[in-house]
Amino acid sequence: MLAQVLVGGLAAGCVYGLVALSFVLIYKATRSVSFMQGELLMLGAFSAVVLVEALGWPLWAAAPAAVGLLFGLGLALERAVLRRAIGQTHLTPVLMTFGLGLMIRGAVTGVPQATHRMHRLQLPWEQPIALGPVQLAPEHLLVILATVAACGALALFFRHSRAGLALRACSEDAGVAAILGVSPSAMHALAWGMGAALAAFAGVLLAPVTFVEPGMGVVALKAFPAAVIGGLASLPGAVLGGLFVGLSEALAGRYLPDGVKDLTAYALMLGVLLLFPRGLGEAGRPR
Amino acid sequence: MIQLAALAALFALAALFGGVANALAQAAFVATFALAGLGLVLIVGQSGQLSLGHGATMALGAYAQGVLVAAGIHGALALPVAALAGTLAGIVASIPGRRLGGLFFAMSTLALALVVEEGLLRLVPLTGGAAGLVVPPLAVVDWRLHSPAAQAAVSLGLLGGAVWMARRLRDSRLGRAWRAGRDDESAAAAVGIDLGHVRMLAFACGGALGGLAGGLYAHWLGFLSPEQFGLPLSFELLMLVFIGGVRSLSGALWGAVVIVSLPQAIAAIRQAVPWLEFGAAGLELTIFGLIVVALVMWRPAGLWQAAR
Repeated sequence: MLAQVLVGGLAAGCVYGLVALSFVLIYKATRSVSFMQGELLMLGAFSAVVLVEALGWPLWAAAPAAVGLLFGLGLALERAVLRRAIGQTHLTPVLMTFGLGLMIRGAVTGVPQATHRMHRLQLPWEQPIALGPVQLAPEHLLVILATVAACGALALFFRHSRAGLALRACSEDAGVAAILGVSPSAMHALAWGMGAALAAFAGVLLAPVTFVEPGMGVVALKAFPAAVIGGLASLPGAVLGGLFVGLSEALAGRYLPDGVKDLTAYALMLGVLLLFPRGLGEAGRPR
Repeated sequence: MIQLAALAALFALAALFGGVANALAQAAFVATFALAGLGLVLIVGQSGQLSLGHGATMALGAYAQGVLVAAGIHGALALPVAALAGTLAGIVASIPGRRLGGLFFAMSTLALALVVEEGLLRLVPLTGGAAGLVVPPLAVVDWRLHSPAAQAAVSLGLLGGAVWMARRLRDSRLGRAWRAGRDDESAAAAVGIDLGHVRMLAFACGGALGGLAGGLYAHWLGFLSPEQFGLPLSFELLMLVFIGGVRSLSGALWGAVVIVSLPQAIAAIRQAVPWLEFGAAGLELTIFGLIVVALVMWRPAGLWQAAR
C-alpha cells in the first residue's frame, strides 16, 4: 500500500519538478520570475487534446507537436513582450508574465468547447500493471519514465551541445559570454522558448492523469516550493525539490489529518526559506 | 490641488451616474485599497523590494478584525490589532530576505500568501473555512457605521492619517536609508546602513497599513471568505501601485481608483457590446491581462508619468 502511495507521489513530484525546472531555467538565464508557467502547462495540455480529439492525430505525434507549438509560443512572447523586461527591476517581468497568464487563461476559458466538457487524454493501455503486490497505473509510470528521459536529454543538451553551453555561459555572465561570441538576446529567447516547452511537456504528461481544464495551471504553484527547496539556482535541484514535494505531499495525505496535504508544499517552502535559504542541498555543506 | 480637484470631479461623475450612496460606497473601497497600496509603495517603491504577498497582510488584518468583532470586542479597538497582525506577517515574511535579499523577499512573501490562504481555508473553527465569516458593521463607541457616508469618512480619514505618516517616514532618516539601499546596496552598506534591518522595517510598516486596510475591508464587505484574499489580490495590489507609479505616495490613490473602477468598466463594456458574449469570465480575464501587459510595456513609471 505504502509503495503505491509513493509511486503516486513520485509521479506528482515529477510534474512539479518539470515545472520547477522550467521556472529555474528561465530565472537563471533571464533573471525573471515567470508567473505564467501554469498557464503554459494548461495550454500545452489543451494543444495535445485539440490535436488528438479534433484533428485525430495519434498520441505519439500530438504530444511532441504540442510541446513544439508551445516552444514557438514562448519564442513569440519573448519577441513581442518579454524582451522589454531586460534591464528592468524584478517587478516588471512578474507583472508581465502574470498579465500574459491571465490573457492565456481568459482566451481558453472563452472557448465554449474547453469548459463545457471534461477532456482527458486516453492512453492506449489503461490496465494497471501488477508488480508483486503493487498496482502501478500506466499513466504514473509514463510520467516518471518521461521525466527521467527529459532530464537525461537536458543534461546532454547542457553539457555537450553548443546552444546548451552558450545558454549556461550566458546565465553565468552575459557580458563575458557576449565577448566570446554568444548572442545574449538569442539566449534570452531560447530560455523563454525552452521554459514554455518544458511547462507544456509537464502539461501533456498530466493530461492522462487529471482532467484538462482552464484552471489546471494551479499545479504550477507547487513548483515554486520545489524550486526554493532546490535552491532556486540549480536545475537538478529543481527536479529533486519537485520529487521531495511530491513525496512529502503523498505521505502527508496518507498519515496526517485531512487538509494538511494541500498545505505541505507551502509549509515546506516557508520552513526551507527560514532555515536553509539557499536550498536543502546546501544544508549539509559547511560554509 | 489639481489632483484633489480631479478626484472631486471623478466623485461627482460617479455620483451623477450611479447615485450618491453608491459613489460613497465606492469611495470607501478606493480609500481602503489606497491604504493597502500605500503600504506596498513603502515596500516596493521606497525600499525597492518585491512583495508578492501583500494580500496576505490584508487577509490577516481582515480575519483578525472579523474574529475579534465576532468575539464581542469593539470594532474600533480591534483595528489596531488588525494592523498588528499585518505588521507581524510583514516581519515574518521579511526574515529570509534579511540575509539574502533580492528575490528571496519575493519568494518568502509568496510562501506567506499561499500559506495564509490555505490556512484560512483549513482553520474552520476560527475562520469558518470556505463557508466564510460574517462581519457586523464597524462601530465607534455607540455609533454604528451603516451609512456609506460614514464608511467613506472613516476610510478617508484613516487614509489621510496614513498618508501624513508615510510622508514623515519618507522624509525621515529611515526613508533616506530605504532609498539609499534601493539605489545602491553596496554604497548604502558602506555608509553604515543595516540593509536587512531597514528592509524589515519597511515590511513591518507596509504590513501594518495592509492589516489596517484589511480590517476596514472586512467591515465594508461584511463577509469574508479565503478566496477573496488569494494570490490574485496580491497581484492586484502590485498592479495598483504600478498604475499609480511605485515611486510616488499619491500614486497609490490613483491606482486604487483604477483598480476599483476597472471591473465595473469591463462590465459596462460587456453590456455595451453584446456580441462579445463569447465567454463572460474569459473576457474579463483577457481584458485585465491585456491592461497589465500594456501598462508594463508602455507606462513603466505609472499611468500618468511618461516613460523615462
